[in-house]
Amino acid sequence: MSRYISRYLTITSFALFLNVISLSQVVAQPDGGAIFKANCTSCHVVGDNKVVGPGLKNVHQRHNEEWLLKWIKNSSALIKSGDAEAVKVYEENNKTAMPAFNLSTDEIKSVIAYIKTESEKAPAAAASGTNDVNASSGEESQEDGSPIVLLLVTLGFIALYFILNSAKKGLERVVRQREGLPEPPIYKGKAWVREHKKLIAVIVIFLLVVGSVKGWYALKGIGVQEGYQPDQPIKFSHALHVGQNKIDCRYCHSGAEKSKNANIPSPMVCMNCHKYVQEGPKYGTEEIGKIYKAVGWDKKKQAYTGKTKAIQWVRIHNLPDLAYFNHAQHVKVGQVTCQTCHGEVEKMEVMKQASPLTMGWCINCHRQTEVKMNGNGYYKELHEKLKKQHGPDAKLTVDKIGGLECARCHY
Amino acid sequence: MEKRYWKGVEELNNTPEFTRLRDNEFFEHLPVDEVLNKKAASDSSTTRRDFLKFLGFSVAAASLAACDAPVKKAIPYVSKPEEITLGIPNYYASSYYDGTDYCSVLVKTREGRPIKIEGNDLSGVTKGGTNARVQGSVLSLYDSARLTSPLKGGQKSDWKTVDADIIAKLTAAVSAGKKIAIVASSNASPSAKKAIADFSAKYTTATLATYDAVSYNGVVKGNEMSFGKAIVPSYSFDKAEIIVSFAADFLSNWISPIEFAVQYGVGRKLRNGKRTMSRHIQVESTLSLTGSNADSRYKVKPSELSSAVAALYNKVAALAGGTSISAGSSSFDKAADKVAHELWAAKGKALVVSGSNDPNEQVLVNAINNMLGSYGNTISLDSTCNLRSSNDGAVVELMQAMNAGQVGAVIFWNTNPVYTMPSMSEAIAKVGTKISLSDRNDETASKCDYVCPDHHYLESWGDVEPYTNRYSLMQPTIRPLFNTRQAAESLLKWAGVQVVDYYTYVRANWEANIYPKQSGMTSFEAFWTKSLQDGVFAATIPASTPATFVGNVADAASKLMKPSAGADVVLYEKTGIANGNQANNPWLQELPDPISKVCWDNYFAILPAYAEKLKVVQGNVIEVKVGNTAIKGPVFLQPAMADNTIAVAVGYGRTAAGKAGNGVGFNAYPFVTLSNGSLSMIAANATVTKTVEDDHTLAATQTHHTMMGREIVKETTLSKWLRDSKSGNEQELIDSPYGKKKPEELDLWATTEKPGFDRPNHSWGLGIDLNACIGCGSCVVACNAENNVPVVGKDEIGRAREMHWIRIDRYYSSDTTKENAGEKGLGKLSMYGEMEKPGSDNPEVFFQPVMCQHCNHAPCETVCPVAATTHSSEGLNMMAYNRCVGTRYCANNCPYKVRRFNWFKYSDNDQFPYNMQDNLGKMVLNPDVVVRSRGVMEKCSMCVQRIQYGKLESKKAGRRPKDGEIKTACAQACPTNAIVFGDFNDKNSEVNNLFKDPRSYHLLAELNVQPSVFYQTKVRNKN
Repeated sequence: MSRYISRYLTITSFALFLNVISLSQVVAQPDGGAIFKANCTSCHVVGDNKVVGPGLKNVHQRHNEEWLLKWIKNSSALIKSGDAEAVKVYEENNKTAMPAFNLSTDEIKSVIAYIKTESEKAPAAAASGTNDVNASSGEESQEDGSPIVLLLVTLGFIALYFILNSAKKGLERVVRQREGLPEPPIYKGKAWVREHKKLIAVIVIFLLVVGSVKGWYALKGIGVQEGYQPDQPIKFSHALHVGQNKIDCRYCHSGAEKSKNANIPSPMVCMNCHKYVQEGPKYGTEEIGKIYKAVGWDKKKQAYTGKTKAIQWVRIHNLPDLAYFNHAQHVKVGQVTCQTCHGEVEKMEVMKQASPLTMGWCINCHRQTEVKMNGNGYYKELHEKLKKQHGPDAKLTVDKIGGLECARCHY
Repeated sequence: MEKRYWKGVEELNNTPEFTRLRDNEFFEHLPVDEVLNKKAASDSSTTRRDFLKFLGFSVAAASLAACDAPVKKAIPYVSKPEEITLGIPNYYASSYYDGTDYCSVLVKTREGRPIKIEGNDLSGVTKGGTNARVQGSVLSLYDSARLTSPLKGGQKSDWKTVDADIIAKLTAAVSAGKKIAIVASSNASPSAKKAIADFSAKYTTATLATYDAVSYNGVVKGNEMSFGKAIVPSYSFDKAEIIVSFAADFLSNWISPIEFAVQYGVGRKLRNGKRTMSRHIQVESTLSLTGSNADSRYKVKPSELSSAVAALYNKVAALAGGTSISAGSSSFDKAADKVAHELWAAKGKALVVSGSNDPNEQVLVNAINNMLGSYGNTISLDSTCNLRSSNDGAVVELMQAMNAGQVGAVIFWNTNPVYTMPSMSEAIAKVGTKISLSDRNDETASKCDYVCPDHHYLESWGDVEPYTNRYSLMQPTIRPLFNTRQAAESLLKWAGVQVVDYYTYVRANWEANIYPKQSGMTSFEAFWTKSLQDGVFAATIPASTPATFVGNVADAASKLMKPSAGADVVLYEKTGIANGNQANNPWLQELPDPISKVCWDNYFAILPAYAEKLKVVQGNVIEVKVGNTAIKGPVFLQPAMADNTIAVAVGYGRTAAGKAGNGVGFNAYPFVTLSNGSLSMIAANATVTKTVEDDHTLAATQTHHTMMGREIVKETTLSKWLRDSKSGNEQELIDSPYGKKKPEELDLWATTEKPGFDRPNHSWGLGIDLNACIGCGSCVVACNAENNVPVVGKDEIGRAREMHWIRIDRYYSSDTTKENAGEKGLGKLSMYGEMEKPGSDNPEVFFQPVMCQHCNHAPCETVCPVAATTHSSEGLNMMAYNRCVGTRYCANNCPYKVRRFNWFKYSDNDQFPYNMQDNLGKMVLNPDVVVRSRGVMEKCSMCVQRIQYGKLESKKAGRRPKDGEIKTACAQACPTNAIVFGDFNDKNSEVNNLFKDPRSYHLLAELNVQPSVFYQTKVRNKN
């Protein structure tokens, strides 16, 4: 992980950034899509519009494969050789040469195949993608299943009761007929209640117990927003950015190591990449267009208009004011991974609150997590003292250095 | 017990009110019986059924409300400024200068909002010190009474219209040959002076009249008469071995109080092996903050002060071989000889100052200093102080011109003469065009045709040259909140000077005039950046040289004020409100006066004995009449004042300051009279009559939270301390079944080591040097700002519900002690009776800051039923507000009475219309500290947010925190460094060294609560 971090932090250009990602991916079979995303997206889209280089939609129809292979491998050599087609493309694009790519013929072919399939499905995909999201980002019912089970069990018991009761009554009737006894009077209303005291008592006790337990958990859940997954103004996917593109969390949430706030990145941070990446795989230009609107980026003129409009994200992690939380303390000093609290963000299409953020949850972690004392000069003396006190192999968890004290979080 | 201290006259006289307050901290009557008796129940219109309905409804409503969490938005910057990281404060160096106080400051901003002012250690003048007014100034930025746009004829207007109008009117005034007057406060800004010069170049008839409500014209004129230099010299209180002050309140208001407090602290502290301290003698009429710190204090009636100076002159002249002058008689005469001998013995290291605005008295003081060889040592005429430059003569001339109809237009800049100078307000009516540059529609601005609101200093560019060749920059820390414009920029605009903005103007001025004065930097850009970052720049400071005295002492003596036969009124400035320019600042209004402990009021302070003569008691409304000026106000009984003297603070009785300042107290400025060409703060021959008006209630924090009858302030004298460094700090032994024992030997808890009680990591502590504490209240306001302490208002203060986390207790001493009781022939019982009485009318005063003592055996912790207050492994007594259920047991059990209960939700309650109530005022809140809600207890946390921040910074850097890196707000604000914060576990920390000093003691050590806060014995330099 840290290898990636240091690399990402030192990127000087987006192209290099993407190269790093490509190096980190071991590709067994040439995957045209992956190679395209790793190498080409900084300058090209599979569409009609130009980014740095021309849009590549139907490029396989404009040029033959042999020419494309030569061009991608070393475009400047091709131009120098005086190839008319190459010179034309070169001049059409303001004489900006495309860098040479050290890709094998198979790999390039797979990229061309990828462009071919993308070109054909491009319009359809965009439309269906939008539908997908509407379905997935809609209100999800967060049933945990247990009430249904309970209900079923209860219903089963009731059914059993009626079955047994009718069987019993049938047997009684048979006995009565055999003995020649008169029919018993039919119980109704209060009389029925009087007759079934035990049953009623059992039901009442059962309901009370279930109600109390459920009520207790319901009360404990007030204000706990675990699983909170609101719609956001931009359908930003952490799964794509973190999971697929492997961008480090701290590239955008740059405050996490410095400050109490991890910081929601300003849209200008998005622009570092999205100046070039103008189309997303799922929503095309729609969602990325919202960034452009926020920062006032004119795509055609490739310039800022100066008209800005802040993005109003819906805040997911709401710690109450009475609790003080500091990201730097946990991320930088405690070396806690982001996922410990925020869950598998790299798999979240829509961001959600993965942890309950209750005090019990905090305390629990403080009881289990060891303090990263080694190598931190602040803890040196304390470490020696605690080793003497608790033994050299003791697990020095956060609570052992006062991590459960009120004024660590409440002031 | 050596001496008996009493906390106020109420304590001494044991008034019923006092006993009531002492016996019940929460003295509210609870109407339990009234509510629960049968008759009340049957009379009530709420039936049992209704009650149950209401109960059910509220429960249902509350649960419904709790179910639905509100959607919160997170809105990031569109383009985040590089230097801002959310959650991390940025500090900018700037300067505070309001025409009176100067202070080089660091402004703490969070997410672009200034939230706290701190002293700038790099300054050679204020050296990191601050005072209450500077600390409070950040709240004045978020004052809802500020104007949001320029006004024309009292109506909102825009800059274009206003500028066009004003330029036309000014041009017309010049062409009509009429004067354009700029009535401005003292101005020490080189760039603003240049702007005035540019303005005067365009409008040739423009004249500047420097007017300060509290004038220092006498000092300027006195130096002109003595040395031919119309300047205020620079004083070095730190170099003086003996300081004699004639009513100069130099620790609170006189000339440059922050600087002087810092210097004074240097001379008074007995630390790091220093075994000498300055001796301070104060001669005054009222009990000032400075006087209350003096080693010896002499009471003299206001009109006799000049005679007292003359008497000292004669005595010193006799020693120096000079001629004597004619002098009136004063009560100081007897002591003059002794004081003169002391001064003479410290020749070259003595300093005499006078607070008088009479140039003649200043000539005499200069002459005394000259004979003592102070010039070149403790006073420098070469490095001049530019902070006070008022010219009362010019103001008088201007008024005459106004009355004669010669003035076509007048511009008021940082002055409010309609409020401070009634005679001026009449003259103003005769001026054609009246323009105010005030930030609010104050008393003067509301009478003006145009108001062009100035920025707050935290929104401004600017510079100050407090002393010759000492420069200080002012930079904005927030974008202007309203449509305001800097005053100097307004002048430049009207003068038609083509500049982009005032920033460019200041910068250009520095490049042209100040950059050449340095040699280290090779480019102006580098110099400018460095100066801006440091906040200050010092060029070559002129060396202090002896001066040639050319004054005519005999002539000056003949013009001195003659002692009056009757009562005298003396005007003074309070530490918080001062001249009244920040009267709408609720923090300053609620800061108790250091001496009287009264908040939200001014009053006629008189000696209790004098009150008996006048047959008035505290709270009675009296009318004081001097000449044709009669003013009504309440009486306050102030011990240690001179007889036949009525002291009253200016700065109150504002009518157009804003909702917090309006109608607080009464305006005493009409008593200011012109004498010897200067505005005099002394009005002689007053008559006092008792009115039939209802008594006025004064809200004081004085009589609450008493610590009666125990040894609280320990003191000794320098000579005793030199012989025995433990003198005055003898430990009290407790009677026990095992004989006399030290308190710590008698412990309720098992004394064996407990794993939970050791401090493996840090052990925070606070040391308070009572010898250095001057009682100025800077720490109180700093604490308010740092910890979001609410303002509760006069009414609540009257109910003993002030919320200050730190208070400064003030004790008076009594002359009767156990030792001298025998000589007085007193028995045991009558001795205690006598100790309660004012044995002397000139008691000594002691200040003692008290905050939560963070006891390690804390009585509060053991009585909390919900464990809301607990102890940390770093020695802090923690308070978890959200755990608190408000039983208030802890406050009852606290021996120091430092816990504060939130009786209301002060942050959102119409009853408390102060800063936390409006959205603008809320911007000053510290985001790292919770705003407490109703029904919870709060108290000093030892700035745990700062401790945690400092620890985290060290952890991030992988090192231990450096000593002095983490400071509590009170320690940081203290100009004399009396409060020291640090880690006891750090063997080399300053706090550890202080604690090892034999002067250290714990407050109420006999209780063995083992506080983390300790005090150091007060040492007086007297025999």
